[in-house]
Amino acid sequence: MNENLFTPFSTPTILNQPATIPIILFPAMLVLTSKHPINNRLATIQQNLTQLTLKQMMMTHNAKGQTWSLMLMSLITFIAMTNLLGLLPYSFTPTTQLSMNLAMAIPLWAGTVMVGLRFKTKNSLAHLLPQGTPTPLIPMLVVIETISLLIQPMALAVRLTANITAGHLLMHLIGNAALALSTTNFSLTLLTSTLLTLLAVLEIAVALIQAYVFTLLVSLYLHNNT
Amino acid sequence: MPQLDTSTWFTTIMTMLPTLYLITQLKLLNTNHYQPPPTKNSNLQSHGIRWQPKWTKTCLPLSQPQQS
Repeated sequence: MNENLFTPFSTPTILNQPATIPIILFPAMLVLTSKHPINNRLATIQQNLTQLTLKQMMMTHNAKGQTWSLMLMSLITFIAMTNLLGLLPYSFTPTTQLSMNLAMAIPLWAGTVMVGLRFKTKNSLAHLLPQGTPTPLIPMLVVIETISLLIQPMALAVRLTANITAGHLLMHLIGNAALALSTTNFSLTLLTSTLLTLLAVLEIAVALIQAYVFTLLVSLYLHNNT
Repeated sequence: MPQLDTSTWFTTIMTMLPTLYLITQLKLLNTNHYQPPPTKNSNLQSHGIRWQPKWTKTCLPLSQPQQS
C-alpha cells in the first residue's frame, strides 16, 4: 500500500529513458508568442493575464526591483502551468520533486540576499535586529533573525513540494476510496462530491504559486527598498 | 519516498534550469504587447474645406452661421 501510494511521484521513465525532460519542457511550450497586433482569443487571454499579473506584482517595487520582473514573471508562469497541468489524471507534476524546488528556491533567494548586501549593505544587515529590542537580548535576537533568514529558501522549496504532493496524494486516496465503495452505492455520491470539491479547492494550487512568488517578492522587496 | 531518490535529481535540475531561465523567459520576451492605436483628432470645425455650399450645409450644419 505504501509503495502504491507514492509511485505517481517517482520520476517517470519511458523504456528506461528519463521522461522528465519533455515533461518539464512541455508547459513552456504552451506560452504563445505571435507577432500580430490582433491575435486569436487564446493568445489575447494569455497576453492580458501576463500584463495583469505583471502590473500587480511589480507595482510595489522601485526601479531597481523592477529589473527582476522578467525573472519573476517567468517563475510564476512556469510554476502555474506546471501545477495546473499536474491536475490532469495520470500526469506527472515536476514541482512535486524536492530537487527542482530546491534548485529554484536557493539561487533566487541567494540572489536577493546578494543584491541587498551589495547595494545596501548597512540596511540589509540592519534587518537582523528588529527595532526597539532591549539591550541584553541583542545577541540572541541576532542569532534568531539569522536563522530565520537562512531558513527562507528551505521553507520556500519544502512548502511548494509538500503542498502539491499532499494535494495529489489526497486526491488519489479519496478516489481509491470512492472506487472501493462503489459496490455499496449510497456512500459513493458523498465521496465523489468530496473528491470534486477537493479538486476545486486544489485548483488553489494556483494560489500556491502566488504564495511562492509573493514570498520571494517580499524578500526581494525588503532587501531592496527598506 | 521517491522524491528523496537522488539519482534523478541531476536530470530534473538540469532540465528545469534551461526551461525556467531560458525558454520561458524567451517566450515572455517575444510576446509583443501592442498599444491600441492612438485615435486621430478629426477637426470638425475646419473652415478650409470649400465644397459646394449645399454639401457644407448638409454635413456641417453648425459651421454655417450665415445661412442657418
